[in-house]
Amino acid sequence: MATSFLSRKPDSGLGNIGASPADPSRNIDWVLLTVQIVLTIMGGFIVFSASRTRLVEDPYAFVTRQVIFAFVAVVVMFAVMAFDYEMWKERARFLYGLTLVVLVLLILLGIAGGEDRISFDLGPFNVQPAELAKFTTLLMLAVYLADERSEEVSYPRFLGGLLIVGAPAVLIVIQPDLGSASVIISLAMGVLLVAGAKARYIAMISVLSVATVAAAFFGQLVNDYQSARIRALINPAAAGADETYQAENAMRAIGTGGVWGKGWLQGPLTNGRDIPVMWADFPFAAVGEQFGLVGCVVILSLFGVALIRVWRIAHLSRDSLGTYICAGVFTMLLWQIFQNVGMTLRIMPVTGLPLPFISYGGSGLIVYFAMFGLVQSVHMRRMR
Amino acid sequence: MKGHTENMAADKRATRLGVLAVVGTLLFSIVGARLWFLQTVEADSLQQQVDTTKVRTKPLIPERGRIFDADGRILADNQRSLSVAVDWELLRRDSQREEIFRRLSGWVDVPVEDMEERFQRGIFDTLLPMPVAEDVDERTAIAIQERVEDLPGVTIIEDSERVYPFAPLASHVVGYMGAITAETKDQYTSNGYSLNERVGQFGVELSMEEQLHGEWGYIKFEVDNRNRIVSVIEEVPPINGRDIQLTIDLDQQQYAEQVLETQIRLRQQAVARNPLDRDTNFTTRAFYETDPVTEEKIYYPEEVPFKAPAGAVVVQNHETGHVIAMASYPTFDNRWFESDLSGGKFGEIFDATDLEAVEYDPVTGLAIPETIKTDPDRSTLVNRAIQGRYNLGSTFKPFTAYAALSTGLLTTTETYEDTGTYRMVSVDRDKCESGVVRCVYKNATCPFGGPCVYGTVDVHTALAVSSDAFFYRIGELIMEENEQKDLLQQQVKLFGFGSDTGIDLPFEFGGTVPDRELKERYAANGVISKDEGTGYFTGDNVQLAIGQGLLSASPLQLAVGYGTIANSGFVMKPEIIKAVFEAGVPDSDRQGYADISQARFAEEPNVDGEVVRQIPMPAEIREEISSGLRRVITGPGHFSDYLHSTTGEKLFFDYPSSAIPIAGKTGTAQGRNNFPWNDSSAFTAYSIDPEQPYTVTAYLEKSGYGATAAGPVVKCMFLQLSGIAPTDSVVVSEPLDTNSIFPAAPKKLNDTSCFSRRG
Repeated sequence: MATSFLSRKPDSGLGNIGASPADPSRNIDWVLLTVQIVLTIMGGFIVFSASRTRLVEDPYAFVTRQVIFAFVAVVVMFAVMAFDYEMWKERARFLYGLTLVVLVLLILLGIAGGEDRISFDLGPFNVQPAELAKFTTLLMLAVYLADERSEEVSYPRFLGGLLIVGAPAVLIVIQPDLGSASVIISLAMGVLLVAGAKARYIAMISVLSVATVAAAFFGQLVNDYQSARIRALINPAAAGADETYQAENAMRAIGTGGVWGKGWLQGPLTNGRDIPVMWADFPFAAVGEQFGLVGCVVILSLFGVALIRVWRIAHLSRDSLGTYICAGVFTMLLWQIFQNVGMTLRIMPVTGLPLPFISYGGSGLIVYFAMFGLVQSVHMRRMR
Repeated sequence: MKGHTENMAADKRATRLGVLAVVGTLLFSIVGARLWFLQTVEADSLQQQVDTTKVRTKPLIPERGRIFDADGRILADNQRSLSVAVDWELLRRDSQREEIFRRLSGWVDVPVEDMEERFQRGIFDTLLPMPVAEDVDERTAIAIQERVEDLPGVTIIEDSERVYPFAPLASHVVGYMGAITAETKDQYTSNGYSLNERVGQFGVELSMEEQLHGEWGYIKFEVDNRNRIVSVIEEVPPINGRDIQLTIDLDQQQYAEQVLETQIRLRQQAVARNPLDRDTNFTTRAFYETDPVTEEKIYYPEEVPFKAPAGAVVVQNHETGHVIAMASYPTFDNRWFESDLSGGKFGEIFDATDLEAVEYDPVTGLAIPETIKTDPDRSTLVNRAIQGRYNLGSTFKPFTAYAALSTGLLTTTETYEDTGTYRMVSVDRDKCESGVVRCVYKNATCPFGGPCVYGTVDVHTALAVSSDAFFYRIGELIMEENEQKDLLQQQVKLFGFGSDTGIDLPFEFGGTVPDRELKERYAANGVISKDEGTGYFTGDNVQLAIGQGLLSASPLQLAVGYGTIANSGFVMKPEIIKAVFEAGVPDSDRQGYADISQARFAEEPNVDGEVVRQIPMPAEIREEISSGLRRVITGPGHFSDYLHSTTGEKLFFDYPSSAIPIAGKTGTAQGRNNFPWNDSSAFTAYSIDPEQPYTVTAYLEKSGYGATAAGPVVKCMFLQLSGIAPTDSVVVSEPLDTNSIFPAAPKKLNDTSCFSRRG
C-alpha cells in the first residue's frame, strides 16, 4: 500500500522489526521536510508584515490565504511522495502535452481579450499555468534523458531535450512571463549538465536563452513594464526614475536593517507604501529591514540546507531518473533564490519571480511542494 | 562489464553534480557578500537617504477652456501670471517671517503689513506655499529667483488668470469666476479640485464649468532634505478644458446692450401723469396713498418720474433656438472679479442686493456680512433675461387667442361687441352689484378719459388694438363652458410657460401659470392673503387672459413663445452654446479672435437646434394670430367711436420696407396699486421673413407703456438686424478702471433716430 507510511506506528522496540529498512516510509528525509516547513511558516509571517499596512479591510487577508495554500500544498506533496517516481515515466508525456495545450489556450484567451494574460481567473483564485509547466517540463525532460543509457547525451537527444524545454519556454515568454521562462531554462540546464551534455551544448543553451530574451526585448514581445525593468538595470540613469524606484527602495529597506534589523513590524519602508507588491516580489526586503543581516543569513542558511539535501539526494539516487529530477529541482531552486534575492539587492533585474516558500502566491507554493515531494520520493525509494 | 560502465557513469555523474555544487556556492557567496556590504558598510548612508528623501506630489493645473462668440471673438481667455509665494516652514516663526517679508516687500511692491495681514487671515492652502504677491512681472520674478540665497523658501508660482477681452459686453452670459464657497466645497473637492482654485460662479463659466475646467495632472518626485528634486517618479499631464463657442454674436450683443441702456436712461427722464379723477369730478388727482394710521389720502403730484431701473433684451433665431443677443440692465464688468478687490471696495461697486447674491468675497472667499437695506430693482448680478419674474401684460394675449381658437371656443370669423367694459356672465347680477364678487373689468384708459371702446372686433382686430374686454370674455368662457377645467393653463403651458426653457445658463426662472395649486402655495408662503388663496376662481382666469394676476415669465420664455407662433408650432430649446471644441483652438491673426476654422469639435454641434415639443398650429389659427400681430406694426387701425390706431402703428410709422418685415405685440404690465409710473413695458416681435427668422423681446421695468419704452428697443434691434441702423464696430476693451465705483462703464447708442414715433 503506497500510503502505508502515513499510518506508520512509532518505533516501539521490536514493533517495526517486520518492516524492511528499505521500506519507503522509513526513508523520508526529515531534515529537508523540516527546513521546508520552517521556511513556509516564516514566509507566512513575512507576508503578513509586508502586506498588513496595505490591506484596508483585513490585514490578515493575504496571510490567511497563504496558510490555506500551504495546507493544500502539503496534501499535494504527500500525494506525490506516496507514488514511486518511476510511475511518472508513463504519464510524463500526457502531462507535458496537457501543459502545452493549457499554455496555448491562455495565449488565445489573451488575444481574444486584447490583453496580456499570465493566469486563469477562477473566481477567488488565479491559476498560473507557467507554474504547472515547471513541474511537467522537469518530469518530461528527466524521463526523456533517463531513457538513454549512455554516460553522455548524444547530440540528437540533446536536440530533443532542447525542444522539450523550448516549447513551453517560448509559450511562456509570449505571455509574457520572462521570469518563469528563465526558471524552466535553468532547470533544463541543471538536468542536461548532470545528464552529461557536453560543455558546448550547455554554452549553446545559454546563448539561446540570452538570444531569446534579447529577441523578445527588441521584438516588443516583452511588455513595456518588463522592458523598463531590464532597461532600468542596464542603465538606471537613462530609465525613468519610476522604474528603478521600487528596486531602489527595496535595497534601502535591506540596507537600513543593518546587522540586527529594526524589529518585528518596525520597518518604515515595509510598513509604508514605497515598495509595490512587496509581499510577492520583495519579501526578502521585509526580512532585511525587520531582522537585519542576522535574519537574512538565517533564511539563506535554511535555503542552503535545503539545497544541500536536494543535492545529496541527487547523489544518493540509484537511477538516473532520480538524479535528473533532483538536479532539476536543485538548479531551479538555486536560480529562483538567486534571482529574487538578487533583484532585492539590485544585482539582478526586477522580475516577478517569487522567493520559494516565502513569497505570497498559491501556484508557486503548491508546485514547490510537489517538486519537493518528487525529491522525497526519490529519497524514499533510493534503496529499492 | 555492465557494472563497470555503471560505476563509471556514477563517477561522472558525481563530478557533474560537483559542478552544480560549485555554482551554488558561488551564487550564495555573491548574495552573501552583497548582503553584508549593504547591511554593514552601506547601512548608514542608506538610512540617511531614507531619512532625507521624501516623495512629494505637485499638482499640475489644467488650462481652462476659452469662450468665443459666434464670430470667434474671444470672450474669455487665460493669461499666464506669476505670483510670489513663501514656504510655510519659514512663516511659522515670527522673527523669521518678519525678516522675509521685509526683504521681499521692496521687490514685489507690497507693504509688509499687507503680507502680514494675509498671513493672519489664514485662508490659504497650507499644502502649497503661501502667495504674498500676485501678478508680478517677469523681470521681478527672475530677479527674485536669482537671489535664492537672500530669499530662502521664496518661490515663483506660475498661474493663470481669467481675462475678458471684450468686457463688459455679454457679462451676464459669459459670467465670472470666484473662490470655492463653503457650500460647494465638498462637491468640488470630491471632483478633484484644489481649494485654492477659482471656479465659475455665474453664466456660462458656471453652467459649463465641467467642460471648461479640464482635469488635474500631477507630478510625483523624490526630494532630498534640502527640497531639491532627486528624481521624478511619475508624471501625469493635465487635461486642458474644452473651448466653448456661444451663439451670441457680439455685434448684436453690443447693439442690444447699448439700445437697452440708452432707452432706460431716457425713460428715467420721462414722467407719468397723475390725471384728475373723473369720479371726484376733476377735483382731486386720481392716484394717492392712504396713510395706514390716519387713513388720510396723500395725493401724488401731477407728474411722477419713472424709476426705470432695469430691463432686458433677448434676440433669438426662432428656427434654431440660438440666442444671438441677451442683454440685462443694470450690467457689470466681469473683470471686477479678477481684479483682487477687497470686500469693502466690492460693496461700494455692487449694490447690496448683489452682495447677497454673491455672498462670498470673490477674492478671499470669506462670507460678506449681511447688509441692511437692499433694492432688488437695482441688483446687478442678475440676468433679467432669464431670471426676471415679470408680468407679461398684453403680450400674453396671442396665447389666450390660441387657446380660444384651438379649443374651439372661438372661430376666426366670430366677432364680439366691445363696449369698453366687460361684465362677467357667470356671476349673478345681485352678487355683482352688491360688490361681493368683482365682476366688471375695464379696458385700458383712452386719451379722452374712460376706457377705450373698440366696437365690433374679431380675434385679429382684438390683438391689433389690444382689446382687453375681448380677452376677458375668453378668460371667463373658456372656464365656464368647459366645466371649470384649466384649459387656458394647459394651452399656454404648451408654449413653455411655467417651466424652464432648458437654456444652458444657471439660475433660470421657470415662471408661473396661476392655478389652484399655485394660489394655495402662495397663500401658505404669505405672498397672497389666505382669503385669496382659497381657490382658483373664474375672476382669476379673466385676469390671466390678459397676462395679469399671478402669471409670471422671463423675457426669454416670452421670446420662445412668440418664436413658436413664428415657426408654426415648434417650441425650441433656447441655445446659448453653439459648439464645444477640443482644448487648444488657436488664436487668429485678427486681434481678439480665435481661429475657429482650426477647431475640432469635441461634441457634435447642435446646428438645427432642439425641438422641445411640437404643438398643433393649424394654418388658419396661425394666420389669424399672425395677421393680428402684423397689423399691430403696420396698421390700419380700427374704427369704432373714432379711429383707434393699432398699438404699434405710430411707433413703426417710419419702419422702412427694406427692413425685416415683422409682426409683434405691445404689453403694459401694471405694477403696485396700478399707478401709471409702476407700469412695466413689454414688447415682442418676430420676423415673418423665413430667411431672417429672428424674434426680439424687450422688457423695461417701471418704464411706461409697451409701445413707449420696450417698443423702440425692439424696433431699433430689428433695424440693426436688417443692417439699416448704424452699428458701432466691436473693439477689444480698454483695461478696467479700478478707480471707478460703477459696476460697468456706461454704454450709449450714438444714433437714436430709430426711437422716433409719430404723435
